[in-house]
Amino acid sequence: MPGWQIFYHELKDKNFEIVSVAQDTGGAKDANPWIEKANPEYTALIDEQHLVTKLYSMVNVPTAVWINEQGKIVRPNEVAFVDDRFKSYSHMDSGPYLEGIRDWVAKGERSSFVMSEEELRKRLTPVSPDRLMADVEFSLAEYLYHAGHGPEAIPHFKEAQRLAPDNWNYKRQAWLLSDADRDYGTNFTKEVQKLNGKPYYAPRQMPEPGNKPN
Amino acid sequence: MRTLFRCVGLIFLCSMANDATSQMRRVVIYDDTATELRTPSPFTQSEDLWVTLAELTRATGFVVKPQGVCRSELCFPLPKQRKADFLQQRGKVTWFNLSEFARFVKQPVAHDEKLAIWCFGLRPEGPNGYLATLEAPNFTLPDRSGKLHSLSDFRGKKVLLITWASW
Repeated sequence: MPGWQIFYHELKDKNFEIVSVAQDTGGAKDANPWIEKANPEYTALIDEQHLVTKLYSMVNVPTAVWINEQGKIVRPNEVAFVDDRFKSYSHMDSGPYLEGIRDWVAKGERSSFVMSEEELRKRLTPVSPDRLMADVEFSLAEYLYHAGHGPEAIPHFKEAQRLAPDNWNYKRQAWLLSDADRDYGTNFTKEVQKLNGKPYYAPRQMPEPGNKPN
Repeated sequence: MRTLFRCVGLIFLCSMANDATSQMRRVVIYDDTATELRTPSPFTQSEDLWVTLAELTRATGFVVKPQGVCRSELCFPLPKQRKADFLQQRGKVTWFNLSEFARFVKQPVAHDEKLAIWCFGLRPEGPNGYLATLEAPNFTLPDRSGKLHSLSDFRGKKVLLITWASW
């Protein structure tokens, strides 16, 4: 977050906003200490129900979407690090990504980082019935957890994980709410090891900065 | 013999009490709002969630009308030949099968049997609606002081929407 604050400060007078959203079942209790420490000038929201994860079909954090002045998506979900602290997970440099944002802020629709409608339609696919079912199992699990039925929430968290196996948000959040090894027979480190060299974050495809060919 | 009788009696009473509890309190989560239902359902053999028409409206906002099951502009006409799958009369009370309605409109439902909680999700046209327009789905969420902000508040500016988590 402090990194994004510096980046925001650089671009905030160029009709550019950052809206950050914490995906935390624990809500303000878990997210506030981080927000207070970074004390960002940009808008920092708290999403107890993982609404943004669901609406944008996100599977991991940090994930970002670029949205233009008309409220349209111009780049869908991508891993978005502001620095290289987690490069061992991401295998990507943050530099070119930040350059891409600067290019877009300067050139708008002419930026080569703005995707064509055709490309967007290729990437944005309908949500499957299994994913919708995973979302509702996760919602029920969160409700049970908040209602003081932590143990009863676990089978529903597991069902959400089974139905949306690529969703790390649904795994990591659930593991954090109890003892992952005891209740889920696994943990984050073990699951990352199981990837066996496959990327933890989906690789990003960024063009070179410049204008779009006409 | 007397002790045995007392035990059996106790077990019987307990199972009655359990039945009474599960019959009394059912919870429906619809559009992320939980509503407690208190009318005991007469459909004890059914795994489906039957609710009274008053409970249907209280929990979901939907109203059963001659033209269908409606909420403001939205109306789902029920297939005539299958009306009994959705609506049943018991004495003076009309009951509505909310589980069957969810299947009919392709709405996912998660159910916790033990706690008698039903959680209804989104119909596919909701989350897939933005694919036609490519418009970023709107949401309204609080900041750390509880003040609500909507994505649409930022219309007219470029927005980098970033998610993160404390875990």
